Amino acid sequence: MLVQVLTQVAFVVALALVLSLAVFVGRERLASLRTEWRPRLRQSAPAFALLAAILGLNRIMRQDGYEISQAYGVHMTEVFYSLEGDFVLLFRSIATPEVTTFFSVAYVYVYAFVLIFPIVAYVTLSNTVVLRQLLTAYSLNYVIGLAFYLLVIAYGPRNVMIEGMDATHLYYANPEYIHLTTEVNQNRNVFPSLHTSLSATVAIFAYMTRDQYRAWFPVAVGLATSVIISTMYLGIHWAIDVVAGLVLAAVCVVLAKHLVGRWSLSTAVERVRAAGRGETASGPEPDREQGEDGV
Amino acid sequence: MSLPSNDVDTNTSPDANVNTDANVNTDADATTGYSRRSLLAASATGLSVAASGCIDRVQSVVDSDAAEQVSLSILSLPAADGDRETAEITRHLEANLEAVGIDATISTRSESEFLEAILIDHDFDLYVGRHPADFDPDFLYETLHSTYEYDQGWQNPFGFTDTLTIDRLLERQRTETGADRERTIATLLEGIAQEKPFEPICVSNEYRAVRTDRFDGWDENYLTTGNGYLGLESDASSDTEQLHALVTDQRLAQTFNPLSPTTHEQRVIVDLLYDSLAVPTWSVPDEAEATDEETRAGEEVIDAANVSIEPWLATDWEWDAQNRTMTVDIREDCTFHDHTDDGTDADGGDANGSESGIPLTAEDVAFTYRFLADTTYGRAASASPAPRYQGHVSAVDSVTVEDEYRFTISFSTDRAVAERALTVPILPAGPDSPWITHLESSVESADDDLSPTQGDWSIVRSNHAPPTGSGPYKYDSHDAGTSVTLTRFEDHFTLRDDDHDLPAPTADELHFEVDPGTSSSVERVANGDADITTTQLDTYALESTIDDDAVSFVESPSWSFYHIGFNTRSMPCGNTHFRRAVSQLVDKQWVAEEVFAAEDSARPVATPVAEEWVPDSLAWDDGELVTTFEGEDGELNVDAARELFASNFEYDDGALVW
Repeated sequence: MLVQVLTQVAFVVALALVLSLAVFVGRERLASLRTEWRPRLRQSAPAFALLAAILGLNRIMRQDGYEISQAYGVHMTEVFYSLEGDFVLLFRSIATPEVTTFFSVAYVYVYAFVLIFPIVAYVTLSNTVVLRQLLTAYSLNYVIGLAFYLLVIAYGPRNVMIEGMDATHLYYANPEYIHLTTEVNQNRNVFPSLHTSLSATVAIFAYMTRDQYRAWFPVAVGLATSVIISTMYLGIHWAIDVVAGLVLAAVCVVLAKHLVGRWSLSTAVERVRAAGRGETASGPEPDREQGEDGV
Repeated sequence: MSLPSNDVDTNTSPDANVNTDANVNTDADATTGYSRRSLLAASATGLSVAASGCIDRVQSVVDSDAAEQVSLSILSLPAADGDRETAEITRHLEANLEAVGIDATISTRSESEFLEAILIDHDFDLYVGRHPADFDPDFLYETLHSTYEYDQGWQNPFGFTDTLTIDRLLERQRTETGADRERTIATLLEGIAQEKPFEPICVSNEYRAVRTDRFDGWDENYLTTGNGYLGLESDASSDTEQLHALVTDQRLAQTFNPLSPTTHEQRVIVDLLYDSLAVPTWSVPDEAEATDEETRAGEEVIDAANVSIEPWLATDWEWDAQNRTMTVDIREDCTFHDHTDDGTDADGGDANGSESGIPLTAEDVAFTYRFLADTTYGRAASASPAPRYQGHVSAVDSVTVEDEYRFTISFSTDRAVAERALTVPILPAGPDSPWITHLESSVESADDDLSPTQGDWSIVRSNHAPPTGSGPYKYDSHDAGTSVTLTRFEDHFTLRDDDHDLPAPTADELHFEVDPGTSSSVERVANGDADITTTQLDTYALESTIDDDAVSFVESPSWSFYHIGFNTRSMPCGNTHFRRAVSQLVDKQWVAEEVFAAEDSARPVATPVAEEWVPDSLAWDDGELVTTFEGEDGELNVDAARELFASNFEYDDGALVW
């Protein structure tokens, strides 16, 4: 069943990628990849490796972290619930089967697309700094999110007040997705919402690159917003998780911008090479970004 | 600040709906010489003694500070990924507690944490959950007797003590028979309904989704026990080597300790891995005998009258004239599962061979009862009873081995209670026994004296994989937290002997896989991905329609009841008046009709026993001692409900304070 759902998601996301690359990125930038993909990937390899390592760690910890959180975690479900009460049940007022389908699709398909598309889109930029910042921001989201998951044990609203959300519940509308989501997430890991923080991260990057990808910015904001609302509509996250997710996104973007370039392996290598050739080392890359890529 | 006065008078209790007076005056029990009046009077005395201690405690808190709002934390289970009905009842209770001015919070915990908090740590104010209960009301002995006040495990999780009345009745019903016992149990149930260490809400049938195209013959009566997985009919035309079952509790695929108190719903697997001397057996009444009404409600089979204890590992037993000592013969040449060859013995010939297995003899039976009563087996200064089966083993005085396959077992109770004691899993003694081995190493590694925490020490907590029993299925392998596979034990007597009509294992393998919950489990059975949902389904699933003739929902009778459990060790739940008032905040009728989605899937109850044992005074429809909801159709009459609390507690600006 899991394989079935995964294949379906992979297929749909791949299709959406192809279409959106044509629309948002355009032939010219894609063509440049033919000659330049190798050096660009080489430059961003450390960032990719970091993300891969963290995803691996994330996976291990989600399985083995149970005991750690059992020992050190703090139960917060009751705190969240007493702070915000029935707030997420407000979404019940807009619930129809169509809306539920829309948000279920947002939660599963749109989310996957929103995370993957910018990676591909930023590879087509001649300057890799945005790509590396994005990957670093993803990594930070996971690392910080994981730390919170170990320390904060909380069940989402659907596990406290399910009677208010029958119609809107993902699992009743589409039980097949339950296998997918349990595969990537424990039901006691809701604070902060990584769906929110990663979608918001993508939206912030879309803002930062609005000069290169003008059309993508409003689309990214729209998609991210629907993913974020879906987490509450489907009863998976508390509003508090969402707010925390937004804060986390902002923190991760700021941190990523600070970190990337500072400890960049490839720039260090370039510097050494440049020094070897007796030239002045190139300045921090972000400075060059606008000039080169703002075509 | 008003507190329950020292002079607690049950007859002027605030809940006017509980009319104790009528009962007390009318029903004197001539045959025993006890009148209910004297018993209830004794109850009131016991209560006032208990309450006065509490008053001191509360008083000191109050004096030290200004009055504080009463706050309660209700322990509950996750709704979407656990037990939806429990979570919904909790929400109902929480809203009504808030309405009467109590600061109530819901604490959602996973199944094992939930049980850990209630049974081991005793760290809760109150909870909503299911009690496993049993066919015989004697389960109340371990549930409420004060001897278990400080124990951890399934014995007396409420910390309830009433030595003068409830204890005596619990003890007395164990030694009585027939009408005498019925009367004592009626009085006992009335006493419990007054004291309310817990408040039963409703009894729900259990529902499971099954496929009938690969295996058929699912017997609704037994699906709550391991026997439901035996004696199936397999379809010769399809691949029926492995029966695929779905469970929700991850711990079922992690721990194989039959004594672990915090593993939920482990009964099926324990039943399959271990034999017991006898098993509870249902006799279904002829359809003609059951009234239409009964058939419709699926109620007829819940009756305790239909359950008897029938020999399993025992071939026969004989009572002495006093009905206190039983001579039991057990099946010969039975062996425990042998795991030593695993991995090296590829052809599997000897893995199940009787020559290598440790024989099961009367010594093992004697060991089992002694071990369950004291898991240190006499190695520690004080006994450490197992956190399960205490009601069973406390009925046993001694076991004397007569010869290899015969023993006498003497009881301190009469037959009905004693025969229930025969249903515990038989554990291996002998030098290779995992229990003995564990014990030896514990004694060795203990610095000086072995002094384990009762109910919570390694021998009752550790995983004990592979588990060694003698049951119809043998542990094969497991993937921690994901799945566990059992293989048919070819040497099991049900396959070997033909002098019985007991069900034998059908499928070569039983594969239990952890699945997240009701909706996805049903989906997987519908897809042909699984044969049965071992964990019972939330009732909303019954509304789904599955377009497949091979899939059906099976309804099984159950004694298990939903209830509110109070921690009587601490205030305010230590106060009887408070517990009674809280009990009137739950609309049981509404819960049974609205929370349990399928029609007639649950019935509201006033007392926790099988219908057979319910006295008229506690019959749901018209019993005079039935606690009723302060409101209608799930809507609380807030003013009236606040009055219930106002007579013993005070309100300050709308908040209940103390």
